[in-house]
Amino acid sequence: MGSLRARSLCATLLAAAAFVLSAGAQSPGRSSLQIENVGLPAIEENLAISGDRRGPGSEQVLRRAARAASEKTARLGGGGRSYTAGRVIIRFNDGVAAADRRAAARLASPSAELDLQPSYSDFDVVRIDPSEDAELVAEALRERPDVQYAQAAYRVHPTFVPNDPQYKELQWNLPLLNLERAWDLQPAAGSTTTVAVLDTGVAYRDLTITVNIPAFTNDGVRYPPLGRQVIPYAAAPQLVGAGHADRIVAPFDMVSNGLNPPLDFDGHGTHVSGTVGQLTNDGQSVAGVAFNVKLMPVKVLSSFWDVLFGNGDFEGGSDDDVARGLRYAADNGAKIINMSLGSSGPPDCATAPSKSGCAPAIEAAMRYAVGKGSFIVVAGGNEFEDRDPQFGTNPTSVIAEIASRIDGAISVAAVDPTKKRAFYSSTGSYIEISAPGGTSRGFGRGGFVFQQTFDFRFTDTFDPSVVPPSQYTAPRFDVFTNIGITGTSMAAPHVAGIAAMLMQQGVTAPAAIEDVLKKTAVDLGDPGRDNEYGFGLVDARAALRGLGLAK
Amino acid sequence: MKATLILLCGLALASPAAAQDEPKLSIRPFVMGIAQSFTAKETFDAVFEKHTQSLFGGGVQVVLWDRFVAEVGASRAEMSGERAFHSGDQNFRLGIPLTATITPVEVTGGYRFPLWEHARPYVSAGVVSYGYTETSDFADAGENVDTRKSGFVFNGGFEFRLHRWIGASAEVNFSQVKGILGTGGISQQVGEDDLGGVAARFKLIVGR
Repeated sequence: MGSLRARSLCATLLAAAAFVLSAGAQSPGRSSLQIENVGLPAIEENLAISGDRRGPGSEQVLRRAARAASEKTARLGGGGRSYTAGRVIIRFNDGVAAADRRAAARLASPSAELDLQPSYSDFDVVRIDPSEDAELVAEALRERPDVQYAQAAYRVHPTFVPNDPQYKELQWNLPLLNLERAWDLQPAAGSTTTVAVLDTGVAYRDLTITVNIPAFTNDGVRYPPLGRQVIPYAAAPQLVGAGHADRIVAPFDMVSNGLNPPLDFDGHGTHVSGTVGQLTNDGQSVAGVAFNVKLMPVKVLSSFWDVLFGNGDFEGGSDDDVARGLRYAADNGAKIINMSLGSSGPPDCATAPSKSGCAPAIEAAMRYAVGKGSFIVVAGGNEFEDRDPQFGTNPTSVIAEIASRIDGAISVAAVDPTKKRAFYSSTGSYIEISAPGGTSRGFGRGGFVFQQTFDFRFTDTFDPSVVPPSQYTAPRFDVFTNIGITGTSMAAPHVAGIAAMLMQQGVTAPAAIEDVLKKTAVDLGDPGRDNEYGFGLVDARAALRGLGLAK
Repeated sequence: MKATLILLCGLALASPAAAQDEPKLSIRPFVMGIAQSFTAKETFDAVFEKHTQSLFGGGVQVVLWDRFVAEVGASRAEMSGERAFHSGDQNFRLGIPLTATITPVEVTGGYRFPLWEHARPYVSAGVVSYGYTETSDFADAGENVDTRKSGFVFNGGFEFRLHRWIGASAEVNFSQVKGILGTGGISQQVGEDDLGGVAARFKLIVGR
């Protein structure tokens, strides 16, 4: 009986092996996907679902002219606040006659002309000679017993708060970076910059996919073969919704070497792309950082379904695909490259680059990309509490470590909503800066980083913690909602988005972008650079606003 | 050294015959134009793409016995540029307008060497107080600058008599004013803390 069982098990294993081999053999170029360029649009749920699914690891000229003109009428007040020259706001007591009001204004300033209660006001506006000190005139008027208040017309500026309905509810991470006031500085939010997302792909097209889904085992559960399946696939509405398809630039799938489009079958790459540049202020969903950037999906990581569909040999990626992806992105015009990926390795690759576990191919590609003018952002690693059998606890994230040695590439740690290092965020001398990565501990749903991506209840049907095995069905990739995820994968694209805005603002050299981000960061942890937070939390407004002579 | 001192004393005490007609006390208003090159070269280059600036002003001189001079003068310049970053050896201007005004007020005392009838070389030294404002778009209350600091100034030049009541002078001016730059902004980034500099100044003087 035992021998029969053993023989039966062997037969099953052999059959499985034969299936895998035959699948590999019949798919030169790794593709068994049949893709038709027709598909229904996405289903958008606008829910907020969080789960700890940490993945692998010259418009400007016009703007200047307008602002320069505006600056000419500005004067610096005594309290340090600028005001508009030639104008004083005054509120007389009720019942003061117009003639008396005019006379009072003339007493304070011989050039005064009174605009009596402009529409929607209960005050008058005194027009004075622009060369006069409006604060002094206001002070003189305030001394009159018939005046309730008088003040200079101090300058105000827009404070942009996106109208995306779940922005305020879910997105603690964007205000944490002072982004609202950065958007005031640059309402175009990166419109001229292309950001390459080296990841699991991006949901950027409406398609119908026909695949053969074989049997598999996951978490000890055996799932039956589903055979030929027609799977709906849709573009994420909040990335390439109506009228925004042209923001996708030169997409490429390194895994299939361009045979397939770089479709995301995981959700990670779409989520990361959302943080970089999800459509914003459109009354839908949540917001992104540089919400007008152009996105270049470069698929270098395979997901569970990629492997099962025959579009990848294993989950994750390898150094060659990542290195090729970097060079591809740089050669095709990406000015910012986001790499929400990583791998543990030896800590001394700087001094022993040929050591086993180091990544000289990626390092050479990163240096090539920076040399071509691309700024690279790398996730700092999620392994603080992990124990690697070879490299111990809190192992060095090899790619982040490379970034720390290149001027023009930066490694990013993750913080939680209270600006504390997220529990998983790797530490080390290679950490350069921090951004919100969220946490699954202590903040409930409010600790996650939300962006629109696939509703994983429809994609992760292979995961028994998501869908009971008895209800296993083929996945569908056309249902989108706001998903909360945590990780340095989520921290990095915040920095990539801000870097895109910074490049649009005028800082065009990768090394200078790194310099600016570090110098304007809000110091966290030990004073100065430290191994937990690097130079601190990115401050988008400070970075974009730059420096004056003395302040 | 001794010979130099004797020569300087001789020059100082020499009195051409024409000078004997000069009044004992002369109060002379003047206007001036200044071309200043700022010591904080990198700071000014980053924001204004230049580190020279013209200033205009005026003042009054009191001359005693045609030799001793006391002067009070003020000038002003307004410069427009953009907020910026300096990184490596590159400047990146960010398109956010910045306006700086500089208002030096100086009090100096000096000596005029009565060597020639129509020309007087002179030297002077004193204190200068620099008023400085810096405003830029999107600034919070505490992010603009309005301050005044003092430093010292040295002048040396020639005064030429154009007419009995009109004179002109050309001088080289050196000033050093610390405490405004160097504690923030690009000046701190590049390690420059002196708002002074070297200037060529031209004065039109009314009076004898």
